[in-house]
Amino acid sequence: MNKKPWVFIWVFLSVGSVLAQQERFRKSPPIPDPLPQLELPEIESTRLENGLTLAVISRPDQPFITLDLIIRAGESQSPQSLPGLASFTAGMLSRGTPLVSAAELEERIDAIGGDFSTTTTPDFSRFALSFLDGFLDQALEVLSLMVLQPNFSDREVVALKRTQYYDLRQRQRDPEFVGRRQLLRVLFQGHPYRQAFFSEDVFRNLTRKDVQAFYDLHYRPNNALIVLAGKLDLGIAVRRVSHYLNVWPKKQTERPLLPSLQANAEDRFCFVDFPQAKEATLVIGNMINPLAEPDYFPLAVLLQVLGGTPFSRLFMNLREAKEYAYSAFSGLELFQSCGCYTITAAVIPSAAGESIREILRELDRITRDKVSNFELEQAKSYLIGHFPIEIGRLDQLSRRISESLALSLGDAHWGGFNDSIALVDADRIFEVAQKFLIPKPVVVIVGDKGVLLDQLRDLDRLEVYDLKGVLLYTLVKGVEG
Amino acid sequence: MRPPAKKSAMSKTCVGLWLSLLFLSVLGASAGQEASGFPFSWTSFTLKNGLEVVLSDDDTLPLVAVVLAYQAGSLHEQPGKTGLAFLLENMMFMGSLNVGPMQHIGYINRVGGEPNARTTEDISYFCQTVPANHLALVLWLESDRMKALEIDAAKAERARQFLLDEIDQRKTADPYLDSQLAFDRLVYPDFAHGHSVLGRKEDIQRLEVEDVRAFYATYYVPNNAALVVVGNIDISRTRELVEKYFETIPPGRTPPLFLPPRPPEKKQVVQSFKDALAPSPAFHLGFRIAPPFSRDYYVLAILDYLLFKGKSARLYRKLVKKEGFALYVTGGVEKRKDVAVMKLFAMNNNETMVELCQKSIISELNKLRTSDVSAEDLARAKNLFKRDYLSRLASAVERAMFLAEMVFSPIGLDGLADELPKYMRISPFEVRMAVSRYLLPESSVILNINSK
Repeated sequence: MNKKPWVFIWVFLSVGSVLAQQERFRKSPPIPDPLPQLELPEIESTRLENGLTLAVISRPDQPFITLDLIIRAGESQSPQSLPGLASFTAGMLSRGTPLVSAAELEERIDAIGGDFSTTTTPDFSRFALSFLDGFLDQALEVLSLMVLQPNFSDREVVALKRTQYYDLRQRQRDPEFVGRRQLLRVLFQGHPYRQAFFSEDVFRNLTRKDVQAFYDLHYRPNNALIVLAGKLDLGIAVRRVSHYLNVWPKKQTERPLLPSLQANAEDRFCFVDFPQAKEATLVIGNMINPLAEPDYFPLAVLLQVLGGTPFSRLFMNLREAKEYAYSAFSGLELFQSCGCYTITAAVIPSAAGESIREILRELDRITRDKVSNFELEQAKSYLIGHFPIEIGRLDQLSRRISESLALSLGDAHWGGFNDSIALVDADRIFEVAQKFLIPKPVVVIVGDKGVLLDQLRDLDRLEVYDLKGVLLYTLVKGVEG
Repeated sequence: MRPPAKKSAMSKTCVGLWLSLLFLSVLGASAGQEASGFPFSWTSFTLKNGLEVVLSDDDTLPLVAVVLAYQAGSLHEQPGKTGLAFLLENMMFMGSLNVGPMQHIGYINRVGGEPNARTTEDISYFCQTVPANHLALVLWLESDRMKALEIDAAKAERARQFLLDEIDQRKTADPYLDSQLAFDRLVYPDFAHGHSVLGRKEDIQRLEVEDVRAFYATYYVPNNAALVVVGNIDISRTRELVEKYFETIPPGRTPPLFLPPRPPEKKQVVQSFKDALAPSPAFHLGFRIAPPFSRDYYVLAILDYLLFKGKSARLYRKLVKKEGFALYVTGGVEKRKDVAVMKLFAMNNNETMVELCQKSIISELNKLRTSDVSAEDLARAKNLFKRDYLSRLASAVERAMFLAEMVFSPIGLDGLADELPKYMRISPFEVRMAVSRYLLPESSVILNINSK
């Protein structure tokens, strides 16, 4: 006798009895309470006599103070012959003064429970120093030493070249980093932003003289801003910052107008060989230019619908339905003069070709059909609900404010963020999809060419690069051209 | 130590306390407790089923973090059943009686929240941060999987495959992982402490669905768990919600205790580990030190910062920057529930550098044994320690995880107010004494990695 029906009935009765026994409230999710008002901390700001912009966020409950210095000189200001100079100069700032060695600066930062880091983007360099409350003077003294008296000694230049070379080599072990870099190199071809996406060899040519010249040109108070957050107010901040930095002389600085960019419009497929990679990493994207404020918010909601979470279209399609992908997400990168959307997916190598087709299909679909109300509300709910989580830590808050100020983003990105998202509707999403997603994106595939190239031979044209981004050859219909 | 932040927060907490006391007098079933002398306040109580609950109000942002922590980690696994705790962490997202597979993450994501989970040697944490109005949603989800997780063979297989992939990925990302696992078996010579949370592949492949069910039934019970809620909450309303969702979940049997650690042998252990994939020669060095939260442990935790943490850390300066014997060095105090070890890992250019590096470390430790560290160096180490300690309280979810860990620690929440000051009071003499007692060459464990 077949036992299966009896097993089924037994399971049905057991589950049924458990369900019947449980309290009623366990059967479905509870109705949410009203959301408490989001009260964002006030940002007070002023400009000091030497032109330095100072912004303060008072958070008296915090045991730390964060100090962010932004210099409005990023990699797009590096000379064309010296890519990497902006980030190298930023790195050299903490490498000692004529009287205080790099080691002593490190000790002074450690002594205040400090954590110091630098980041350089195409638009600016950011120096972030967080430290224990009570050490504001010591922190500003360290900062003033770095900013006003950097030494740029030949010895430290050599040491930093070695460090940055190995750091970049280390980062190149991440296929996603390699793929994103290749995508942005292609999208920014011929534009000053292309300078930002260099490989480790660029440091070889940099000299102390180059660093000094870049510093002299760009490291000026009227080209900088400081954001302080923690247990302090604007009055205290003005007095203390002025005390340490009022001798920083201002000087006319030039910010050349960036040339306009066109979105990619033709099929373009790039393959980066990553020997022994176990997965295929896909990075797909295109330029959004100009990215004016009215378009930013519908675009943010669109990209949320497309690939913001594991419940968005890309993840549900590539991972849950097709089982091609480990992950698939979309995002928006913001620059001073434009934006760029990206889709990143880690997929099983045998499904790389089909995964690309599915992603392009999803991009096409969102330009043809309006998003459903369910998807729209879900995406908006995520963005509004997640906003305060993104500023939950003092360093996150400080970073958000300093980068917003550096990119001159308006209040719609801060106090007006939730309202801006709430106003987005399906029509506006459809409009921005039509405007920005119809041009064909650039597709970058990172993986082991021995494993992957066979399934990409149908492509009309495939550029094959090495890990550093050097073009090795181009395949035309699978044949080396 | 800073007093509680805001008047409004204080008054809310006082109302919560008053209600707690009222509740206590009516039911006599749980104890309310108010903390003081710490940068934030909290209320704690125990439900009838043994679930420890901690609530902490912070209305800076309209957020709430919920952490449900179970005393279930690799320490609780039996020989041949390694990887169970980590596997179950994954299964906790695969559905319960009223929540479908992966719906837990879906519910949290849809409201903009962040779900997370982490398994350590002794605790499995399930964390989420959500907009404050969705607190009940998280409690509903967590109580459902505590009460009735749905475990079947297909789900167990999926979790098993995930775990095996995870092991492969970690080994690819860290070429020294195998040697690290081998070193752990030397420095923690008993099974319970010496095996990894990742588990052994051979064990994972043999795990049965019944093993998973038994582990869940034993350890995922309210009397073995702590629920911590931190954020923009009303204490009394939150307490009502916690009681509604959790108090009727029946307690389990008292989970068995894992075996106590084997005491370290008083002799040096030196072994070699051949690893063709290791990019360069390297070695692991370790010393069994005083158990966590003992007096000497606090001293050695500060010594950790003097030797390893920050850009001015002594061993980094000496071995990497000054002498050039090491390409890279890292280390620190590691605790596995009731046992602690001071560990060091260094990568070197060649075998000669390995030898020079080890001699240089011994010489640095000798120096610490024979003379006091300067007040300046000690103050720097303490401030770095303080930074990291307070960083663990920086966001609502980090604070909730910290409180959950403290609930299960020997000092408990009662001892929290004096915890940081204990570290800050360490003297140079105590550092010298602790080095003399614990960091002796004759009690060291060394694993040399041969990369050829």
